[in-house]
Amino acid sequence: MSLAQLLDSRLLMVTGKGGTGKTTFASAMGILGAAKGKRVVVCEVDTQRPALPAIFETEVHFDPVEVHPGLSVCNITWNEALHAYLRRSLPMKRLVRMVLENQLIARLLDITPGSREVVILSRVGNLLEEYDLVVVDMPASGHAFSLLDILSTLLTLFRSGPVRQRALELQELIHDLRTRLVFLAIPEEMVINETIETWTRMEGAELIGGSPYIFLNRATLPSLTEEERALIGRLSKVKLDPLRREFVQAGVWEDRLEQATEGAQARLAEAFHMDPVLVPPAGGGGNPRAVVGRVALHLGRMVGVARRELPWT
Amino acid sequence: MDMNRWLDGQRLVVCVGSGGVGKTTTAASIGVWAAARGRKVMVLTIDPAKRLANSLGLDAIGGEGARIDLSPVAPAEGGSLHAMMLDSRGTFDAIIGRVAPTEELRDRVLSNTVYRYMADSFASSQDYMATEKLYDLVSSGQYDLVVLDTPPVKNALDFLESPGRVVSFFDERVYGWFVDTYDQESVKGGFFGRKLMASTSAMVWKLLSYVLGEEFLGELASFFKDFQALYEGFRERHDAVLSMLRAPGTAFVSVCAPNEASIEIARYFQGELSARALPSHGVIVNQVHRCEGEVHDAAALLGDTLDGVAPGVDPSTRAAILARLGMAHRRLAKLAQGEQELTGAVRSVLTPEQFYREVPRLEDEVHELGSLYEVGKHLFEGP
Repeated sequence: MSLAQLLDSRLLMVTGKGGTGKTTFASAMGILGAAKGKRVVVCEVDTQRPALPAIFETEVHFDPVEVHPGLSVCNITWNEALHAYLRRSLPMKRLVRMVLENQLIARLLDITPGSREVVILSRVGNLLEEYDLVVVDMPASGHAFSLLDILSTLLTLFRSGPVRQRALELQELIHDLRTRLVFLAIPEEMVINETIETWTRMEGAELIGGSPYIFLNRATLPSLTEEERALIGRLSKVKLDPLRREFVQAGVWEDRLEQATEGAQARLAEAFHMDPVLVPPAGGGGNPRAVVGRVALHLGRMVGVARRELPWT
Repeated sequence: MDMNRWLDGQRLVVCVGSGGVGKTTTAASIGVWAAARGRKVMVLTIDPAKRLANSLGLDAIGGEGARIDLSPVAPAEGGSLHAMMLDSRGTFDAIIGRVAPTEELRDRVLSNTVYRYMADSFASSQDYMATEKLYDLVSSGQYDLVVLDTPPVKNALDFLESPGRVVSFFDERVYGWFVDTYDQESVKGGFFGRKLMASTSAMVWKLLSYVLGEEFLGELASFFKDFQALYEGFRERHDAVLSMLRAPGTAFVSVCAPNEASIEIARYFQGELSARALPSHGVIVNQVHRCEGEVHDAAALLGDTLDGVAPGVDPSTRAAILARLGMAHRRLAKLAQGEQELTGAVRSVLTPEQFYREVPRLEDEVHELGSLYEVGKHLFEGP
C-alpha cells in the first residue's frame, strides 16, 4: 500500500515508543489530509503534557477547534469523554450529573476494568461520524496495546447491557479495513526491539483488521562509501592529539548512525512485511510548528502534495 | 559533593529511568565501584537479566545469583560483588494462596471473573513478586549494599509500589458501600431491604446496574466480599516495603540519556519521587557526546595524518573524506551543544543536596569489569 493510500483511511492510530515523534507525525498527516480536501481532526489522548497547542499555536480542548479550513485538533480528556459517553448511554441529564458528582461511582469507574479505554475509544468513534479522517496520537506503544486489547476483555466481562453493545461497535470499527495502525520508530536498538515486540503481540492477538504501516524517523541515509569507511577505520587506529581525535570520532559516529539506520530498516522490514518509510531528521531545530511544517513537506513530496498546497510552510 | 562518601553511606541504591539509557550499565558500575572499595555488594536486575550478565562478562545469571570475579580491579579487603536476577515468575495466584486464610476462600477468589481480569493485567504480579524478593534480600542483612536496576518502563515507581496498588484498589469505604448495597438490593423483595436503603444509594445502584449490567455487579460484589479477608496481608507488606524505600541509606538515582524524551522522563521521575516522599539523590546522564573543538577544518588538521595512513590515496577521495570529517565534526559539535542545553533542563530542577554526573559516550560497548570500572571513574572521581 502506498503512502497516498494511507491518507485515504478513515482512522489512523499513530503509535510508537516515547520520543519517536508521534505527535509531530500525526500533525503532519493531518495537514496533508486537509490539503487533499478532507475534513480531518487530529487528537491527543488525555495526555498530561499536551503537545498540540505548541504546534498549532492555539488552545486545544475536548471539542475540536478548527485551526485551518478542513483541519481541526482536539484533546480527548477523560472527564469530558466520560461525560459524552454517559450522555449517550443514559436517558436523563439528571442521571448524568448524578453519576459524575458521585465519589463512589468515580472510584468504582477507576477500578472497573476497561472503563477508561472504552470511554476514550468511544469518543474516537463519535469523531468518525463527523470527520472524513481521524488521526489519533496514541499513547506510547505498550499502552496502545491495552487500549485496543481491552475490548475483548470487556466482551468476556460484560455479557449484557450498554457497555457490551458499545464494545461490539468499537470492535467493528477497529477491525474495519480503513482503520490503520501507524508505527513510528527511530534507529535505536531499544526502540526497534520494543516496536517489533508490540506489533508481534498485536499481530498475534489479531487486534486490528488492516495491516500496519511503519515509519523510521530520524533516519541517517547511507552515504559513506566502503572506501571512506575503511579510511575512517584506519585513522581511528592512529594515536592523535584530542583535537584531531575529535574529527575521527565524528566520522566513526556518523558511520555508526548510517549502520544503525540500515540495521533498523532490515529488522523492521522483516517484522512488518513492508519496507519502512524513511524520514530524515527534521533538522534545524526551531519551534514545533516549523518542525511539523518540514515533516509535512517531506511526506507531501511522497504523496503528491506540493509546497504551495501546504498552508503550513 | 564527595561521591565516594555518598556511596559509602547507602545500603540500597535504586536506579530508575527509561529504556536504552544505560541503566543496567550504571547499576553494574556502581556495584563494581562499591565492591572495589571493600563492600559486600549485590546487583539486582529484573528482566532481561541477560544485559546485566553481559555487562559483567557472564553468559547468564539466574535466580540463584552469581559471584563475580573482582580480581581485574584489585578490590580492597572484604570487597565482593554478586549479581542476581529477581526471579519474578511466581504468579499472583500463588500470592493469593499464601494470604488466603482458607482453601475454600482461595478457590472462590481464583475462579472469580473480576479476579481473573485483575490478575492478568491490573495487579501486575511480576512486579509484586519482585518487590517481595527485594524486601527479603535487603532486610536479610547479608549485603552491605544492594543496587537495583529497575525495569525499563516509565512506571518503574509503580513497580515498587505494586503492593500499594493492591491496597488502594480495595479502598475499604468503596467496597463497604458496594457490598452493603449489593446485599440489600439482592433481598429487596423483603420489606426491610426496601426501607433501609437510602434513596441515593438505590438510585446509584440502579444506574450502575444499567450501565455495567447486573451480572458484572454480582461478580464484583462477591469478589470484594471474599477479598476483605485478604486485605490485611497486603497492607502489612505494603507498609514494610514503603518504609524500606524511605529509610535512611536508601537512594533513588535517575539515569537518563541526553535526548528530549529521556530528559523529560527524568524530570518526570524527579517530580514523582518527591510526590511520593521517596529519597531522590541525584541524576546521572549517560552517553553524553563531547566535542570541544571549535574549528571544523579537517583538511588542515588531518591532511598529513591521512597521507601517513593512506599514502597514494586518490586525490578526489582524499578531499571527499576530509570534507566528510569536517562536516561530521561540525554536526557533532552542534549535537554536543544541543545536549548541554537539554541537560540544563534537568540540572535546573536539582537541589544543592542532589548530585549531577555525566558519563561520556564510550567508544566501545561496556561489557567487562574493566570498562565498568572506567564508568565508575566518571561517576565517582573527576570533576
